[in-house]
Amino acid sequence: MEIEVFFFGVLADVTGIRQKHYNDVGSFADLRHRIEDEFPEIVHYTFRIAVNNEIVNDEPLLSGGDEVALLPPFAGG
Amino acid sequence: MDILLTDGPVGISVISGLIAKAGSLKDAGGHSLFLGQVRSDVSDNKTVKAIEYSVFEKMAESAAGKIKAIIFSEFSDVRAVEIVHAAGLVQAGEISLFVMISAGHRQQAVDACRKTVELVKQRLPVWKKEIFDDGTQKWQQNI
Repeated sequence: MEIEVFFFGVLADVTGIRQKHYNDVGSFADLRHRIEDEFPEIVHYTFRIAVNNEIVNDEPLLSGGDEVALLPPFAGG
Repeated sequence: MDILLTDGPVGISVISGLIAKAGSLKDAGGHSLFLGQVRSDVSDNKTVKAIEYSVFEKMAESAAGKIKAIIFSEFSDVRAVEIVHAAGLVQAGEISLFVMISAGHRQQAVDACRKTVELVKQRLPVWKKEIFDDGTQKWQQNI
């Protein structure tokens, strides 16, 4: 399935991108491994996952076309 | 629309416009306002001159909607909740957050305003990068 991934906050700096399209994603674990292989520094940062703008648990079930966002701790205000 | 995101600091005209609009709430007896301002912190002999805010806009709208739902469910006297947050560059001394609660009476206006600010800090998908006077930058977390 095809998944769009968004990187926010410090993760946008760590990866050097804000958004990336992934093809042939088998599962969230598969997606996570591909992201970590491509951006190994990311494992040193804390972040939560949102799927289609909702925060989810660590191993969400993905569907084709989902938008996955990696969210470092919020710092608004 | 549950949140207004401004390009740069929250301007006085936005704030005064919302205060003026609140006058149409004839059953409100008070409005409690909070203005968050970029503080010129000093660390390692460097001074913060600005903060760059980045916002996950699509999620910010739904998160603000949930914050408002919590406030309305916990504070039956609240008539309106306004949340405005800056996106992009905000200089020290400029406004980054505006919250206004309109309520029938002062007690819930003040209490709900405090709670809304706390929920904004906990739940709004916003990140801030401090920009120092020597040109260096640092991502910052809420304490």
